[in-house]
Amino acid sequence: MRGGALPPAILCAAIGLGLASAAGGAALLGLALVIVTACAMANAPIPATWSDVVFLGCWTSILASAAIVHRRKALKAKPALLLSLNAGIWTGAVIALVPSKSNLLEALPLAFCVWPAAWVRRQGQEVVLKVLANWLIAVAVLAAALQFLPVTPGYLPDHMD
Amino acid sequence: MTIAFEVGSVTPAYAHTGTGLPGGFESGFSHPFTGWDHLLAMVSVGIWGAFLGRPLIYTLPVVFPIMMVGGAILGMFLFPMPQIELGIAVSVLVLGLCNGLAIKLPAWSACAIVATFAVCHGYAHGVELPSAADPVGYSVGFVLATGLLHVFGIGIGLLNARPMGILVTRSLGAAIALAGGWYLCLACGL
Repeated sequence: MRGGALPPAILCAAIGLGLASAAGGAALLGLALVIVTACAMANAPIPATWSDVVFLGCWTSILASAAIVHRRKALKAKPALLLSLNAGIWTGAVIALVPSKSNLLEALPLAFCVWPAAWVRRQGQEVVLKVLANWLIAVAVLAAALQFLPVTPGYLPDHMD
Repeated sequence: MTIAFEVGSVTPAYAHTGTGLPGGFESGFSHPFTGWDHLLAMVSVGIWGAFLGRPLIYTLPVVFPIMMVGGAILGMFLFPMPQIELGIAVSVLVLGLCNGLAIKLPAWSACAIVATFAVCHGYAHGVELPSAADPVGYSVGFVLATGLLHVFGIGIGLLNARPMGILVTRSLGAAIALAGGWYLCLACGL
């Protein structure tokens, strides 16, 4: 088990936060692009042997999408759409690895956080978004590192035992 | 309510009490609440951030999780870091003193202090990271709980804006520093 719907859901949340700094039209178009691309990719025949690459792509995309929140300038249309396309691809790719596509229904709604996030930004409270984005970045870094660790040390006795 | 429940169920001992945690969101979320030393340090970061004001009110809670994850990665790969319990005890003591004495530092040095302590706390969590059935869920729970403890600390720190609030936060800081001193004695084997 590699998180079920969580990795694509985190990616959708990250792109939602990232798109909040884009202009209204670009954000809406980006959101639509995420949904369409994710649905298309979720049905693509991705071999299970690619799972490591797919998950690494997902974690890296979370980093990229969440990092956008820290930009001072508004996100322009072209980068917003590119980011959305990227997020949609990896969201769909992760979901394509499992036979059931119901994870789409759990993950994609989180991309709609773009509206509350944009509202928070308009109130001048983008600090909240930065903190949330950093939590997502922290999770992505930790999860990506776990991927390279064949056995976690948790059940081994440590120096306190 | 979840936070209140978890805070109520903490054990008065090190978070680093051993191994055998089951993996998943719940165990990741509850882990930072299972030891007073970690809990006090994370709440202290929030209180100190609120006391120092902008930009540190949000910079410290932003720096801490990232550096904590860096420390956790070092721990997961069993990178040797001696005296980690000492580092954790010192973190509680120093952060408590910063609040108790209302110490104001430049942003870079406050960030450096918090980042260093975050690595210690992350390392302690990393070396006991369970071979989880759901490591992603564990990671999410772990980071979320840490962040919420900071937010809780910021909430306490905002009392500074009220009359007598500074007295409350400084007293709390002094109490945390005392606890840190106790942990330091334990870590030194005294």
